[in-house]
This record gives sequence, structure tokens and C-alpha cells, in this order.
Amino acid sequence: MVRHVIRKAAGWLLMIAVATNATYFLASWLLDPRSNYRELRPVRSEEQIDRALAPYNLDPREPLVHRWWDWFTSVTLHFDWGKSPTGVSVNGEVGYRALVSAELVILATVLSVVIGVALGVYTAARQYGWADRISQAVSVVVFNIPASVAALVVVFVAIWLNQHAGMHFLYVAGENSPDVEGLLPTIGDRLLHLIPPTASLTLMGYVGYHLTQRSLLLDTLGADFVRTAQATGLTRAQAIRRHALRTALIPTAASVAFSVPAVFTGAVITETVFGWNGMGRYFVQTIGKNDVHGAVATAAFAAALTAVGAILADIATVFLDPRVRVS
Amino acid sequence: MSSDATTDVPAGSAGRPDAEPPHPAPSAGPAAKPRTARPADPTAEPHAADPARPDTLPPHAADPAPAHAHLGLGRLYLRRFSRNRLAVAGAVIFALLVLFAAFGGRLTDHAYTDADFAALTQPPSGVHWFGTNQGGNDVYACAVHGLQRSLTIAVSVSVLTIVLAAVIGSGAAYFGGRTERATLAVIHFLLIVPSFLILALVSHRLAGDWRVLIVVLTVFGWMSTARVIWSVSTSLRERDYVKAAEFMGVGPLRIILRHIIPNLGSLLIVNLTLGVVATVLSETALSFLGFGVQTPDVSLGTMLADGATTVTSAPWLFAFPAGLLVLLTVSMTLIGDGLRDALDPTSATGSAGGRR
Repeated sequence: MVRHVIRKAAGWLLMIAVATNATYFLASWLLDPRSNYRELRPVRSEEQIDRALAPYNLDPREPLVHRWWDWFTSVTLHFDWGKSPTGVSVNGEVGYRALVSAELVILATVLSVVIGVALGVYTAARQYGWADRISQAVSVVVFNIPASVAALVVVFVAIWLNQHAGMHFLYVAGENSPDVEGLLPTIGDRLLHLIPPTASLTLMGYVGYHLTQRSLLLDTLGADFVRTAQATGLTRAQAIRRHALRTALIPTAASVAFSVPAVFTGAVITETVFGWNGMGRYFVQTIGKNDVHGAVATAAFAAALTAVGAILADIATVFLDPRVRVS
Repeated sequence: MSSDATTDVPAGSAGRPDAEPPHPAPSAGPAAKPRTARPADPTAEPHAADPARPDTLPPHAADPAPAHAHLGLGRLYLRRFSRNRLAVAGAVIFALLVLFAAFGGRLTDHAYTDADFAALTQPPSGVHWFGTNQGGNDVYACAVHGLQRSLTIAVSVSVLTIVLAAVIGSGAAYFGGRTERATLAVIHFLLIVPSFLILALVSHRLAGDWRVLIVVLTVFGWMSTARVIWSVSTSLRERDYVKAAEFMGVGPLRIILRHIIPNLGSLLIVNLTLGVVATVLSETALSFLGFGVQTPDVSLGTMLADGATTVTSAPWLFAFPAGLLVLLTVSMTLIGDGLRDALDPTSATGSAGGRR
């Protein structure tokens, strides 16, 4: 098992290294850090701009290969991912923002999985009942709602609730208020900021688990071993819970394992709408501000977490499914 | 195929008027019976979104099989499709949306580029049916143009993606060996590269023009479909008719185009409709973030971004594009699921390529 994981991880590492370096060249080619300085007044000459960019290893007069080599050695030797065109350290930004994203997405993922799987099991056991039909119709519509529309609808509802409650208790912008002191008020303030984006993410996330869990369970409900279990005297609910659900949960567990690392890469649209300074928003900002190093670091981070997710999914399948053996 | 005739009223009688003389009488009988019995029959209810439903074919569909034997294939598909009421509803909605995008602009005097400075951020009224935005543009005209833009992008990206994925996927499967391994390596590599980031990066620099956006979305969107098509074609490669064609000396390109790809037909059509949904979603996301279609051009995504800051003070700015978007994606999904059930009722591959 350990050897299998190590071999897989090595393969992924190679892919990530190639992908990251390719992204570096692509980003250097497509993003122009000089444009950050063109807006400044008094107007700087091209010469001045290039000189200002030089300490951050972004000087366009330097050949791209040299810049790449400097960046590459600093990443491999010191794990320093460079600086933005205005001199902000990428490492510090990513470290802080990944935690902000995690705060936002962990709760939403847990809620999505719990609600989605519970709904899937409940409706599969009552296939073609009214609850099944209604939830199915709702899920099909929700599945096709763009993330931006869902987020804006949640914003609308939150503001409407605020107005009707006569007080401002749900916050739709930012992850905390600046002037809150003390431990308990801080936690309360953070929670109130957390509710609307979490609602939006959960709405988008539960659907996939509901639809797949329902169809997976429907596939196993008709299996012989479930019928045999009922024939030995178990009630239908017991047979579903102990036998059918057990096998039907394996693919879901793998997909949850796959999505767990993604909590750190955040949710681009939701973070943009709700003004959370997480990784998703960082990714939009790095591209908007022509931040080559930031964009490359985001890409590497996302690729690495995808790899971790894939390995976790493999491990989860091996542990849960007795039929799978690692050779 | 039948997909072009989905809005037609299904033929009332099973037997065609030009059917062979001995058959019309028996063919009308069994086909008419399930038709009247249908509303009471729960299995005939459409469950369009079910991704992998093993019991897709309603039991009574097998009864009039002798009558279906001389029914044209297109008519059979049309019949199966129109049995699924949700899919028909989706087709009607989609047809209305296309009509709206094509001819909706003729109903109003305003062009989407016209700025009415006497009416900034006005709610819907008789003059401006959907209201106006912050710049005084007529939201109705913008919506027509934006829907047109989003539809054009979605349909052309989806078609191009399917063509590319079909050729690459089935080519890899047919040639096998080193070609197959190299293609799969490229596909897997492109799948771990954070494609949304690359998309944003490339379209940020090149976009503004929707034609560039089509190219970019196609180039970074074919991989997962190609992988599904590859996995299905690996079994087609071993079929007898492919062997027969090889022994007849037919060239590899011709075998792929004439013998393998046509046998993937239902999978391709279903993926085409679901690809439209996926493209609409990613185009909207890109435009919403400012990386896709850019002003002065208008798509539904940029309209959403316009309305995002004024959700409560000017809800019409956001409500109309949002409504059109949801109608578009939901109707396309319903059509896709209906087509999957109609074209290939026993297939499990549709669900593999469809949703997840």
C-alpha cells in the first residue's frame, strides 16, 4: 500500500512540476506586469518601470529563460514563490488566503455531503414517491443554475431578511468586520459572515451528491445480496442501511476524498460575490493585476491539491472496498 | 436523427399511411392501448435527470414491438422522445429561446448599444420592457443580444469540442499502442492542469472578441469528452465490422470516420447537448469575472456582473439574464436526458459521459 502510494505520488509530482513550469512560461507570455506601473502618476518611463520590476525578477529586459531559472532555483531551494509586481510576497498571501478559503469551504463541504447523501438515501428508498419527484425536480434545476446566479440570489435573500428583521445580522461582504473586539464577539461576527456564502456553496454542492447517491443506491437496491439480507429477517430499512448503503457509499466516499483538498483552493465565484479574500479571489486578482508569480503559485497549489485528492480517493477506495486489492 | 423534429406533434397513429397493406390494422391496436393507459402508468413518467437508470425502457414499450418493426428509426426515436414530457417541455423552451434570440430584437426600437440618458437605471416600463441599466442601455435589447451571444458561443464550442473529442478519442482507441498511450498521457496531463486558471489567463489577454473565446474554450474543453469516447471506442475497435473493413483494405482514417464514429452517434448527440450546458456555465463564469466577453459586447455573463452590485436596488438588471440563463441550461439538460433515453435506452455510457 505505502509503496503504491509513493509510486503514484512520484508520478503526480512529475506532472505537477511540468504543469507548473508550463504555466510559468504561459503566464510570463500572457501577463504584462508593466501595466501595473503605467497607471501611476506622474507618468513613468518604460526604463523606470523596468527598473522598478527588476528586484522582483520581473524585468522584461532580462531574457525569459534567465528569469525562469532564477524563479525555479528560488522555488526548489528556498520554497520561495517570488513576489508580486508591487513587492508583496506570494508565500505569505497564499498561506493566509488558503486558511480563509478553508474556513469558508470546509463547513459547506460537510453540509453538502451530509444533506446530499441523506437526501439521496431517503429518495432512493422511496423511488417515484412524491418526495423523490419533488427533490429530483429541484435538484435538476439547481444543478443547472450558474454559481454566480446562485450566489446573487443568496445575497438578495440575505438582504431581504435583514430588511424584514429590521436589523443588520447577515453580512454579504467580507469575512469579518474590522472593529470587533474580544473572543466571543469575534466568533459570532465570523459566523454571521459565514452563513450566506456557506448557504450558497451548500446549495451548489449538495446536488451532485444527491443525484449520484440516489442512482448508486438504486443500482444496489435490486442486488441479490440485499434481497438475501431481507430474507434472513432484516427489515427493509436495516437491509438498506447495513448492506445496500455500504456498497453504494464507496464511490461517494472516493469523490468526497477527491474534493477535500479543494477546500483550500476555494470557490472563485462565491468568494468574488461575497468579497472573501480567499484563494479563489486571489486567483482572479493575480490575473487582473498581471501578477505572474502569484498566478503560477495558484496553479501549482491547485494542481498539488488535485493530486492529493486523487491519492486520497485511491486510499479511501482501498480501505472501504474489500474487493479492491493493491498489487 | 429525430432531434431536429422534436417540437413536432407526435404522430397520432402508429401505422404510417404508406405502410404495407397487411399491417396497418394490427399496428394501430397495440400502439393505441398504452397511449390511453399512459397517465395511470407510473413507469411512463419521465425522470429525466436520473443519471444511470437501468430500467429506462418502460415495460409497455416492448409490447407493440412487432408494430414498431416497420416504423422508421427516426419515428421511433421521436416517439420515445415525445413520451418523455419533461424533454418535450425542454425542447419547446429551447425553441422559444432560440426564436427570442433571433427575432426578439425586431420587437423593440432600442439597440443594445444605444444609451438613453433620460432613463438611467429605470425599472421595467412600457418604453423599456426590461428596464435600463446604469448606462441607460435597454435591458431587453441587451438580453436579446446577450442570449444570442451566449447561444452562439455555447453551440459552436459544443460542436467543435465534440468533433475534436470524437476524432482524437476514437483515433487513439483505433490505432492503439504508442499513439493511444501518448494521447492518454496528454489528456491526463491537461486534466490536472487547472484548466479554469489557464482559460482565464489566456482569455484575459486575448478576449474581448467572442470568436477568440470560442477557440479558447474549445482548446481547453475537449479532454474529458475525449476520454469517455476513447473508453467506449476501445470496444468498438474489436467489432466484426471493423475487422471486415480492415480485411477489405479500407484505410484507417476512413474506418474511424465511417465505421467507428457513426456507431458512437447517440453518445455524441447526448454529449453535444450537455456540452452546451457546460459551455454556457463556463462562459458565464468567465464573463462574470471579467475574463470572457468584454464591453462593449454583451453576453448574459456580463449582464449578471452588471447587476451583481445592485441586486436589491435594481433587481431587474440581474433577474432577466439570470432567468434566461437558467431556462437555457435547464431546457438543454432536459433535452439531453430525453435524447439519451430515446436514442439508447439500455446504454450506461450516456450517464458516464453525461453529468459527472
